[in-house]
Amino acid sequence: MTQFKPTIQPVAKRVRNFQEISIGFPKKSMVDEGIRCPQCHNSPCAHACPLGIDIPGFIRLIREGDSAGALSKIREANDLPAICGRVCMAPCEKSCIFSEHKQSIAIRALERYASDHGRPRFASKKTITRTGKKVAVIGSGPAGLVAAAQLAKAGFKVTVHEMMPLLGGALRYGIPEFRLPKNVLDAEIEEIRSLGVEFKTNFAVGQSMKFEQFVGEGYSAVLLTVGKNSLSLLDLPGADLGGVYYAKEILLTVNTRFEDQYKKNPAPVIGPKVAVIGHSNAALDCARTCLRLGRDVTLIFSETIEDLKVYPDDVEFAREEGLKFEALTKPLNILAASPSSNLAAGVQCVRMDFADVNGKWDLKPVPSSEFVVEAQTVILAAGFKTSMKPLAFGADLKTREDGSLWIDPETSLTSVPHLYAAGDAVVATSSVVDAMASGKKAAQAIIKAVR
Amino acid sequence: MFKITNKQILARNVKRLDIKAPLIASRVKPGQFVMIIVREGGEWLPMAVAEAEPMRGQITFIFQESNAITVELGAMTIGEDIFSIIGPLGKPATIDKSGVIVCLATGVGTAQILPICKALKKAGNKVVGIIGAKSKNTLTLEPQMRISCSRLIIATEDGTYERRGLASEMLKEILSTEIVRHVYAVGSVEMMQSVCQMTQDRGIKTHVLLQPAMACGMGFCGSCRVRVEGKVVLACVEGPLFDGHHVNFEHYKTRLATYGMSQSRMGEQDQQDEMTKSITKFFPGLLGK
Repeated sequence: MTQFKPTIQPVAKRVRNFQEISIGFPKKSMVDEGIRCPQCHNSPCAHACPLGIDIPGFIRLIREGDSAGALSKIREANDLPAICGRVCMAPCEKSCIFSEHKQSIAIRALERYASDHGRPRFASKKTITRTGKKVAVIGSGPAGLVAAAQLAKAGFKVTVHEMMPLLGGALRYGIPEFRLPKNVLDAEIEEIRSLGVEFKTNFAVGQSMKFEQFVGEGYSAVLLTVGKNSLSLLDLPGADLGGVYYAKEILLTVNTRFEDQYKKNPAPVIGPKVAVIGHSNAALDCARTCLRLGRDVTLIFSETIEDLKVYPDDVEFAREEGLKFEALTKPLNILAASPSSNLAAGVQCVRMDFADVNGKWDLKPVPSSEFVVEAQTVILAAGFKTSMKPLAFGADLKTREDGSLWIDPETSLTSVPHLYAAGDAVVATSSVVDAMASGKKAAQAIIKAVR
Repeated sequence: MFKITNKQILARNVKRLDIKAPLIASRVKPGQFVMIIVREGGEWLPMAVAEAEPMRGQITFIFQESNAITVELGAMTIGEDIFSIIGPLGKPATIDKSGVIVCLATGVGTAQILPICKALKKAGNKVVGIIGAKSKNTLTLEPQMRISCSRLIIATEDGTYERRGLASEMLKEILSTEIVRHVYAVGSVEMMQSVCQMTQDRGIKTHVLLQPAMACGMGFCGSCRVRVEGKVVLACVEGPLFDGHHVNFEHYKTRLATYGMSQSRMGEQDQQDEMTKSITKFFPGLLGK
């Protein structure tokens, strides 16, 4: 039996809307997919999951047709199943014993099915014993939400401070509607709100809010989940020309504005030909956003297609939508339309190839293989970093070399007492599930320390 | 949601809004700004806080209707809600007692310089304010500036009110008569550039307030990059106040022009130079598809 393929929107239709690509999961195919699982007794998938979800356990329940039971099984370890079921990088599927033949069990799809169909019809009564202690969480991204849910379940009074007008952090402002619908995110946040978590939006912990003020307001612990909040600027020649944007600018505007208004007037202005430079999810999301605006898009990256840091299905979807891939290509500089002009007209690139460099297999530029990708708009999906500069928290925090926060690996505590950190601000990889796992770990450390 | 408590039309296209925002009012410092979204699903707009009253929990915006978002904001009435105000953002100005300080502003730049003037005067400095305007009816915030400056000079280009001339010419006069320690300049790029040239050889520290296009205001979109001391920095995090002698104004002009913004966005509206004209010619072609 082959891997389950979900029903998806036809290409001609989906390049014109921002709705989610997969339109549904028939129950029968999901049960069949569950039956395909061999239920290995050492369960490599459960060990690969950073959150430690009992994957064979919930697949067993789906197999029996009990999606509600499967959801409650997932919720034991994961507080955002509907989100993980859509945007997780799925390390479990890579470790599946069928993965060698690219036929691994569609665990992500099964999780999504359970979270969409297993939702209880009526509100369930939750009994939580309150401890009377207060904890502040700064940032409502994946790590912050998971930590808030865990702390609330343990009886703490949690207040989440979010700078943006709406909750979700990177989940809302970093992932477009076609990968993670906003109503799914809202439903998950409502679930966490029902645990008694208080949310404060439009609350910028900016230059004038000191950490001591939080302690003064009676918070026993403060958890920083600020994520990769800053931009590491590229030193690509011509990066200051008009029409050159960083990925976050595109993602922020497409996620803030309404779809119909954005389609009519995409600000910042996007030209008819677009080049996206990068290999991450952010790059692919920008490229697919521009495809939905009817633009001609090329993705430039210096790895092979297999090395892209995205879920394999997304590459397939993007190719169907008409994205052009320039693999093993290194951008050299961005060209201006004319010497006096300040607008971009193309990207000069050079082909790369594997070569033997001092006995090591490495990428080397191919001689005289330079070419120009024509583009009026160039999007740089550069690396993001954590910076305390926009926060200026009044606390002298120890950081690592790359700017991320230093924490004690055991207790998640930063160099300042009572100040914890989790999420992308401390984790090197920027994947949703790793951030959630670190948020969960920090929450457990706080529960242990404060109680 | 932030309620509008008062609205006033100050001059042609210049409006003043009082908004209930207790948290921002108690925390904002001179030189900082906020990001606003007028309605849900709208665009972001950086906005200077002209006045903040922590006791009443109220902040004041003074702005010129120069593009679609500011027109939408200007059309709002008392009692309506602004969707989101995020702030305070940016680095505050360093306020200490140093002597005679000149604060220069043109157009709606007056709204940005007003809190700085107030704070400097409170710290015990002699503040000389200079406001430049095109004519009498585009002049804003004159009474507030009179209170917050020790001496105020008003320069109108057509001579309809007080002195005739440019604001930078008035600065030249003061530099020859008084020992000036600091100069703060807000307004059009040309004005800031000429002020910096004037103060450079005298060795007077000059602070300029840059207003590049901003999409987020929190340092992750990178639209507000400016070149200072040979390095590319983000104006929303490191600024918006910079040492004027280190700012690369040519780079700043290019960045403003690439976003199709008028160079004197906060100054007079109808000032357009060739670079801006060329971009407006270019944009319809871009939008054609």
